[in-house]
Order: sequence, then structure tokens, then C-alpha cells
Amino acid sequence: MNQITTAMIQLTIDGRPVSTPAGSTILEACRASGIKVPTLCHLEGVSSNASCGLCVVEVEGAKSLVRSCVQAAAPGMNIRTGGARVMEARRTVVELLLANHPENCLSCLRNGSCELQAMAELMGVRNKAFPRTKKVTYPDRVGWGVMRDNDKCILCGRCVAVCREMQSVSAIDFIGRGVRSRVAPFLDKPLSESTCVSCGQCTVVCPTGALTERDETDEVFAAINDPSLTVIVQTAPAIRASLGEALGMPAGSLVTGKMAAALRRLDFDHVFDTQFSADLTIMEEGSELLSRLANKGTLPMITSCSPGWISFIETFYPALLPHLSTCKSPQQMFGSIAKTYWAQKAGVDPSKVVVVSIMPCTAKKFEAKRPEMRSAWEWWQKKGKKSAPYFDVDFALTTRELARMIKRAGIDFTALPDEQFDDPLGSSTGAATIFGATGGVMEAALRTAYEVAVGKPLPSLELMAVRGFEGIKEATIDVGGTQLKVAVAHTLKNARVVLDGIAAGTSPYAFVEIMSCPGGCLGGGGQPVAPNWEKRELRRTAIYTEDRGLPLRKSHENESVKALYTEFLEKPLGHESHLLLHTKYTQKTV
Amino acid sequence: METSSATSPATSTARPLDEGTGVQPGALLTALEEAQRADEYSHLSEETLRAVALKTGEPLSRVYSVATFYSFFNLKPQGKHTIVVCRGTACHTRGSLGLLREATSRLGIAGFKEEEEPTCTTDDRLFTVRTVACFGQCALAPVVAIDGTIHSRMTTGKLCTIIDAMRKGASR
Repeated sequence: MNQITTAMIQLTIDGRPVSTPAGSTILEACRASGIKVPTLCHLEGVSSNASCGLCVVEVEGAKSLVRSCVQAAAPGMNIRTGGARVMEARRTVVELLLANHPENCLSCLRNGSCELQAMAELMGVRNKAFPRTKKVTYPDRVGWGVMRDNDKCILCGRCVAVCREMQSVSAIDFIGRGVRSRVAPFLDKPLSESTCVSCGQCTVVCPTGALTERDETDEVFAAINDPSLTVIVQTAPAIRASLGEALGMPAGSLVTGKMAAALRRLDFDHVFDTQFSADLTIMEEGSELLSRLANKGTLPMITSCSPGWISFIETFYPALLPHLSTCKSPQQMFGSIAKTYWAQKAGVDPSKVVVVSIMPCTAKKFEAKRPEMRSAWEWWQKKGKKSAPYFDVDFALTTRELARMIKRAGIDFTALPDEQFDDPLGSSTGAATIFGATGGVMEAALRTAYEVAVGKPLPSLELMAVRGFEGIKEATIDVGGTQLKVAVAHTLKNARVVLDGIAAGTSPYAFVEIMSCPGGCLGGGGQPVAPNWEKRELRRTAIYTEDRGLPLRKSHENESVKALYTEFLEKPLGHESHLLLHTKYTQKTV
Repeated sequence: METSSATSPATSTARPLDEGTGVQPGALLTALEEAQRADEYSHLSEETLRAVALKTGEPLSRVYSVATFYSFFNLKPQGKHTIVVCRGTACHTRGSLGLLREATSRLGIAGFKEEEEPTCTTDDRLFTVRTVACFGQCALAPVVAIDGTIHSRMTTGKLCTIIDAMRKGASR
């Protein structure tokens, strides 16, 4: 950073001298010097629309209290962040917000993690001070990924800001005016009929229960408790770096073993790992890349693991769909392999197998319900095993939902021993682990594709150029004399930049990785709420630590994946792969 | 063997509201005004809103946001004639509620609830009745604007005469 060259200014906060870079807001100056100032609408790095009024402070000489999130700190300012006047104003702000907020905290998904609830406690709100002025609105529970309950909305605008500024999706905006204003999609339609890609970034920034995932924990408990069903579970790479955080451990706690133990105690019949199918994805996607390079296929090829990203390109850039890898995401590959290869091997009726996936993602819920995601059922129909249709993946739960299940089952998570995943769909390599971070799929694919193409391992297994949180990263890899240019983008706003280049014909890349969420899956819309870059960095560190500690770090070294090819699929991009592991995309019109 | 470069950090901050996708600031409002003016029923249909989004490069949700914020924009087809009844304090104390009721009942509009939706159009699309918070003509209260012309010190009698006359000459 260039803070060394930035001029510093001196001011006084709560009687103490404070030095802060010129251009900081009062809020930034306070926080940098360890003074807590409550905020609701403010979202660091994304929005500061100063709508809530909770961050007010007293500035000597100013007529009224000022909103510290937008007011610049000035030299010599004398600021008071506490005191009767500030406390009273903040309490009134919360009381006004509560006037129109339903009082059903006890049954709200955000009970205990609601920022409004926390503010009410912090400000000492003890009674209903103001009557309701708004008409009751009803929840939008139409889609699979994100649920909306405008009655709980406090109009802070964080969701509108992430959807527009971070994702460039703009599915929602404020509509109407005054007491009628609310957050809604175009024509006030359900979210599922808008340009929403179900990325869920709005659900991690929403301070209340107005935007949440569709909670399917009851349905999963019911399946587990049904003795006629075999319920198996898969966990995405990013969950091991965030589940601990969701259960009160420090951000970045790596809980792979405890997670496996907890899932076993929840009575899942088999505890498997999406990392198995992440390795499988690399085998297929790496082969697809080499095939496209050799046969002059459509380039750049773009990764297809992130279902929010898939919806995005289907909605906004349908002309570029041929660039997408035809590989299904690891979640879906797991589902179709579990209900064919594994069911056959284990001798269970595939129609009685329930696949539950634990995902850092709300879009995964939507992906699991895409009509084409019934490959296993179609495969069995061709084999003559008739049954009613079923999906490859039955339930996709977010990190938050798994945390809720663990709490509900009375499991003391931190006291659990470390356990292993079950074989064979539970074994994986470090290449699969890093799928959870932006750049991970690229790195994993290159670890394998390079070795297949050149015949020897990458000179350095760790491709630092594709790691980290830069919005768009580029690298050039020398693959046996051929210079392979690759790019990695995370957040859909950055995806747009790469896509515009491809559409304009100026893109120099052969291979591009795109993830919908900031930081990749570790910053997914199904991850613990209220994220920031510090927490995302800790989760990222946990993921790369796991990779470094594993004996196998290249997907093609996964013995169970090798066995899958020998016993069932024969070879990457083969006939069975085509049926079970690849898919097609369609333009989405909104 | 690897080189790297970076652009556009993921932590980029908010851009100004009107920057949009590079079009001129304020272009959206102008485009909406023009579209409404060009419409036979002075309104913005879904089709029109989509066309405006395409023209300005603004997201559909933003177009809808602006269209629903300003009471100037009509999302429903408007009548050939518009009767705007001022419901400001001065006009209210001098009987504007009676004027509003007279206008709606004379035009056969049932169940007009101004607190829910301040505008209503007759089925034959000849008349639209709407309310407005204040015209700024309080000294002349109660005030009613008919097709853009302000009529001051309005009475129910005068209003009925005007409506009846308009109805005689009006056809779609």
C-alpha cells in the first residue's frame, strides 16, 4: 500500500490524540484507533450510503451529530463517540428501525446472528417505542437459492450494493418511495424471475433475516431418519476452512477431521468428499483443455464449477457459452457418480440413495435442481432399471445450514476427534482442496495438464501467480515450448471485464477460471455471514495450508479416481463421462 | 516460467450513482420522460422499460427503481384527460376530499384508496384521477388541475360541470 506517502492528519477522538491518513472518514479514524462505532448500512469497500444513522458522533462546533461513515476526518477535529447525546440518538435510530420490524426473532434464521438484534441489545432498547407505519409484506420463497422477506428489511441497501457493485448483476434495487419503498427486482417480481444468479452475496451481507438461503435442514434430518434411505454426504473444499468459524471458532480454523466426525454423528450413512469429484473434474477438464488446444476448439476455455457464474453467462453473455467447459461442477459429478458407479458397487438401489452436499454456496441449491441434472436416473433408465425421476444431488446445504444441524443435534463440535472420510468417494488430493480459493481450479488443472502434456511435473507445484485476491490475475506457463496464457477472475464484475475482452476478440488467453464470489468459494454466498477481507484471507491460508500438508497434491495421483476410470469410466472424455460428467448450457432470458 | 500481472482489484469501491455503464449521467431520466411522452396512454409499459434499459445500458432493476420513485412516471395506462386533485393541508381544510370523492364517483371509479395508490383510471381510459401532495397554490385552495390547467377555488358544482362537458366531447 502507499500509506507511507499519504499525509497524516492529527485530531482528537474521545479526548485522545489520534493520527490518521488524510482522506479517511471519521469512522475509519475511529476504527483504526480501536474505538468502536456501530454501523448497519455501511459495508466496507462496497457501500456507504449513510442511510441508517447509527454511526453518528459528536463533532465539536458542528450543529448536529454527524454520520461518521461519510464525514471526512479533518485536522484538529474534536470528536466524541459516546456521551448522552450520541447514545440517545443511536437508540432512537434502532427504535425507529424496529417500528416496522416484525417481532418474530425466535423463529428467524438469523436469530443470534442478526445485526439489528445485536444493535437493539447494544443500544439498550427495552420497549417498542414507535408504532408500525408500513403495511405487512409477504415473503418471496419461490426460487431454490435465495429467499426474501421484505418485512424484515431495514432498507440499509447493502444487498443492492453488492449485487450492483461487486457482482454487476443488479437484480435488485430500491423501488417506490417513502413508506412504500422496498428492495425488489424489476417489476417487483420474485427473485427467481429476475436476473438474480443466486450467488447469495446478498445473504452474507444482509444484517437481518430479509435475505437468506432456503433452509433445507428439516428435509435432510427427515431423510436421515428414514430407514429406507441411504443418505450420503459430500463436503465442498471450502467448508473445512469455514465450518469452524460458523460454529464459533476463530476464522480460518481448519476443521477437516472434526467435520467428518460431526457428519458421522449426524448419522449420515457415508461421509464422502466433494474433493473426490474435484479431482475427477480436473481429469475431465484438463483433458478437455488439451483436446481443445490440439483440435483448435473454442478458446479460451472457461471453467464451469461455479453455478452463479453459469447463470451469469447464460443470462448476460449467451453468445459466449461455447467457451464454457462442458464439465459439470464437482457437486454434480459427485451426484451422478454416487448414484451410478458407487450405488452399483455398494449394491444399493440408486433411487433410494439420497445425496446431500455441503456447499459454501446458495447457487448450488439452484444448480442441483436444474432439470438436466438427472444423469444418473437417465443412465439407469437406459440400463432398464425403471423408476420415478430423481436428481443427482437431492439437497445442497450451505455451511450455515450444516452449522445449524450440528448445533441442533447437540454435538460439541470443538471437542470432536479428527476422523477420516469414507472410501472410495472420500479420498482426494491437495489439488482438490485448493478449489476452494480463487485460482485454485486453474492451479489444480495446470498441475495435471502440464504433466500430461510435457510428461514431467510442473517445475514448481505452487503457482503463486494465480493465487491471491487480485480481481483478475494473469500468468503465462511454458508448456513444452508453447506459451499458455491463462487468467483467473473472481466476482462477476471482474468476470465481465474478461468476457468483454473475449467478446471483443482481444482476449489473449487459452484458459480462464471464473468464480462468482469474492475470493472464490471461501467467500461464497453460503458461508458464515458478515465476511470481510481479513476473514477471507484467513480461510484462504487454511486452504493452502491443507494442500501443503497432504501427501498427494495432483489430481491424477488420486487412487480412487484412477480406480473409477479403470472400473467404470474407462478414460476422460469417454462415453460414460459424456453421459454422466458433462452437460450443456442454455441462454437464459429474463 | 510464470509471469503475472494484475488489474481491477476485487476491493474496488463504489462508483458514482449515475456513471452507469458509461452513458451520460441523467440519461436514464431523460429517456424515461421521452418514452412516456411518446406513449399513446402516457405510460411506461414493461416493453418500454426494457427498451429504455437497452438504450441507456442501465440494469432493468435500476430503470424500474427510477420509474417507481418519481410520481411523474406512470406504470399504468393513463386516461385521455387527467384530473389532479390537490390533497395538501390547505386544500384539505377547504374541502378537497369532497372534490376527490365527487370526481371519482361521477366517473364511476369505485374503491379509490388514495393512501394506497394515488391514481386511478376509468375502464374506458378517458379519465385519470390522481392526487398530489401540494401544488404550491395554497392561497387559491382548493386547487384542481385538469389536463394541465390549474383551476382555483374549485367547488363540487364547478367540477361536475367541467367533467360533464369533457365527457360529452371525449372519445378515444
